[in-house]
Amino acid sequence: MPAEIIDGRRIAEQIREELKERIGKLKTKGVVPGLAVVLVGEDPASLSYIRGIERVGQACGIYVEVLKLPAEIEQEELEVRIEELNQNPKFHGIILQLPLPRHLDSLSAESKISPQKDVDGTNPVNTGKLLLGEETFFPSTPYGVQELLLRSGYSPEGKRVAICGRSNIVGKPLAAILMQKKSGANATVTICHTRTKDLASVTREADIIVAAMGKAKAITADMVKEGAVVIDVGVNPMKDPETGKTKLVGDVDFEAVKEKAGAITPVPGGTGPVTSVMLMANTVRAAEQLAEI
Amino acid sequence: MTAKILDGRKLSREIREELKGRINELKEKGITPGLGGLLVGEDPGSVTYVGLKSKACEEVGLREEIVRLPEDVTEEDLLKSIAKLNQDPKIHGIFIQLPLPGHLSEEKALASILPQKDVDGFHPLSVGKAWLGQPTFFPAVVVAIQEMLTRYGYDPEGKEAVIVNVDNMVGKPLASLLVQDKDKARANVTLCYPTTPDLASYTRRADILVVSVNKPKFITADMVKEGALVMDFGSNWVEDPTTGKRKTVGDVDFEAVKEKAEAITPVPGGIGPMLVTMLLANTVWAAEMQSSRK
Repeated sequence: MPAEIIDGRRIAEQIREELKERIGKLKTKGVVPGLAVVLVGEDPASLSYIRGIERVGQACGIYVEVLKLPAEIEQEELEVRIEELNQNPKFHGIILQLPLPRHLDSLSAESKISPQKDVDGTNPVNTGKLLLGEETFFPSTPYGVQELLLRSGYSPEGKRVAICGRSNIVGKPLAAILMQKKSGANATVTICHTRTKDLASVTREADIIVAAMGKAKAITADMVKEGAVVIDVGVNPMKDPETGKTKLVGDVDFEAVKEKAGAITPVPGGTGPVTSVMLMANTVRAAEQLAEI
Repeated sequence: MTAKILDGRKLSREIREELKGRINELKEKGITPGLGGLLVGEDPGSVTYVGLKSKACEEVGLREEIVRLPEDVTEEDLLKSIAKLNQDPKIHGIFIQLPLPGHLSEEKALASILPQKDVDGFHPLSVGKAWLGQPTFFPAVVVAIQEMLTRYGYDPEGKEAVIVNVDNMVGKPLASLLVQDKDKARANVTLCYPTTPDLASYTRRADILVVSVNKPKFITADMVKEGALVMDFGSNWVEDPTTGKRKTVGDVDFEAVKEKAEAITPVPGGIGPMLVTMLLANTVWAAEMQSSRK
């Protein structure tokens, strides 16, 4: 039986509707949630991601402002600008769009974002709090994966989860979220990576597989247990051999795996749409906290 | 074949000798590494443990300063004492003896230690940097496990590491150390709760099995793969059925498992004796870093 397709767009819309209500409440108190996006240079992928954020922000009623800084900016100047945003009451959330030009130290810059406004959870203090199970902002991609699972009825509690990929923006924070002794988590988590000797032997035992490797079609049908839930975070441009057009594919061999899995997210239309809406959810929560709602 | 016994006492002595050399080098530059500690109240376990730390400092030539505060100390006074150690240039590392009495927030106290002096590695910034793969301090137990493995010639790289413990003091920081793309790491890591369904199916896969659940004989021989490296961080008081005497045992059924494992840590005499030594090692490292920055 083919898998249930987990519709990320529909879930994103659902979350957006809930956010609108909370934003409405904030507005009656005179608060408009504000998100500042710091962009250094003009990386095309970053520009397109930011356009997406602006669209989602607008759809929810969140004020989004992009601070465009020149590619040759000095570290010190960048950090001064972040500090200004920390002080600016118009903004409840701040994100620093990566990658930064090579001469800049992204970790040092991220460390300057006020932890209360760090809605992408990239300040190392918030990373630490996340792993410790303390109150903090979850990075939006792994936060979105958790929401997708919960809202489509596949709670990770007590489940075997194989996370393929140990990046600082997806694999590691997702592991940190799902391993906590908390409702919506409580999973037994295995973190796999390029040095994992026998990846298939791990994924084949998993109830939930999260693919975040950045490698097209790396998860094949023989690596998946019958009935498993497969979440695909990968976005890889690939040329269609017939039409010659470039399209986006995930890290999972979707067509083959969907015949075996219990549920699966498509690419596009799976984790992507939920990611940007989780960023808005964090911004709304930051605004609520600052407004003490 | 019987497993190799990973002797924490012997290794600990070796490492202390090495530390003495590094401490002497620092002293030649006019720096005596200093460890500051906070002890609140008079919990007998804590008092004993702090005593061990003091004695170890003396043995290797570290300066140590224990601040003793009354059981009913206010949070404000506790934080003031921490701030004083933070500012003291003679102190390079600070620990807070846990647990703190119930009216005090451990989270707040730990977060008020200056990260450069956080030799226990419990500050959220240290935890975050560790998880992100940045250089930082790791808790003593975690470094102890890594050192015991690698000094006996077992590199975690490419191994299946299964950790039965998901708490902030053991499981999470150990995962944080072993999962990184770094030397003496690069393991495939699984974190299990003692309640994980079908736990044995995980432990049986493990090349490296680490357990800390404080339940005697929790890990039995049938749960262990032939040739595994078994690291036991449990400590349980039990009565010996033949002699009637009370003794300490770990979480692993040692006698049975040692016939199957490649190597195993005993309890007592395994990871335990390494803990204070690794705290000293972190303090020496802190002093080296702080002095090179000047």
